[in-house]
Amino acid sequence: MTPHEHVTPIGRFIWVLVALLILLALSAGSALLELGTLNTVINIGISVMKTLLVMTVFMHETEARALTRLVSAFGFIWLTMLISLALFDVVTRSPVPAPWIDLG
Amino acid sequence: MNTASGVHLEEQFSDPTQQREAATLGMWVFLATEILFFGVLFAAYTFCRVLYPDGFAVASRRTDMVLGTAETAVLLISSSLVALAVRSIKLDQRRWTAALLFGTGLLGASFLVMHGFEYHDEYTEHLVPGLDFNQTGPHARAMELFFCLYYFITGFHSLHVLVGVTLMFVLTVRVARGAFGPKRFTTLELTALYWHLVDIVWIFVYPIVYLVGRAG
Repeated sequence: MTPHEHVTPIGRFIWVLVALLILLALSAGSALLELGTLNTVINIGISVMKTLLVMTVFMHETEARALTRLVSAFGFIWLTMLISLALFDVVTRSPVPAPWIDLG
Repeated sequence: MNTASGVHLEEQFSDPTQQREAATLGMWVFLATEILFFGVLFAAYTFCRVLYPDGFAVASRRTDMVLGTAETAVLLISSSLVALAVRSIKLDQRRWTAALLFGTGLLGASFLVMHGFEYHDEYTEHLVPGLDFNQTGPHARAMELFFCLYYFITGFHSLHVLVGVTLMFVLTVRVARGAFGPKRFTTLELTALYWHLVDIVWIFVYPIVYLVGRAG
């Protein structure tokens, strides 16, 4: 193995950083517009895009072995299951707050 | 056992590449547990926000969006610096590697300082549940829930940043002393993976803490 194998060109890191900062500006800017539920959808979407950029370029996931990629994906898959299964409960039932609590 | 290239090879591995890949895999298993550690806090947040959307919007407006945005930018830049540091050590540019790691540590430290200012402001505004929380009005209880989650999420995240900053400074010294080279950089690579994950956690903390109900 030569020492220069698997070395990402420096330009790619710079471009990813620029893209990340533009996405940050977009999420901050879009949050100031009155878009209702779309605000949340846009912001979470931008976060997912930023994460994919960090994982594929900074964390070298595209160069990793299939097993490593699978394990790295599974952390997020379990998290999605955790949050969606927990939400099934709240979104499918009408809330019955305790009478002595006024949460507004 | 030492291979021809001078890399220490544990006896269960057949070559240095396999040894490094096993280390990376192990790191990802650890990072998956970290994702789920923060995941339960995110799940609790989602649960409460679905129940009290208006209260969470009111509470989120009380956080400091400018500082939050600056903190996000600082972490994104630090992530690219540590990625460049791993690149530099592969090219045997030790001086650059040490400088980039030191820069990452400094940015991490500045993140902590900015967060300290935020905590101080919230304390003076009586927004700390259990310690000093005097909000009134229809959303007071939901705000209390928001700020409780806020302190748990950002507190544990800051703890991770603190660990990362310490690692960055320790590694700066070790790189300067010549502990790593183009064939020996696994420790650097794994620490970088940890730092990127801390960054990813913050990428999601930023919109859910600072950007709710900002319009209008």
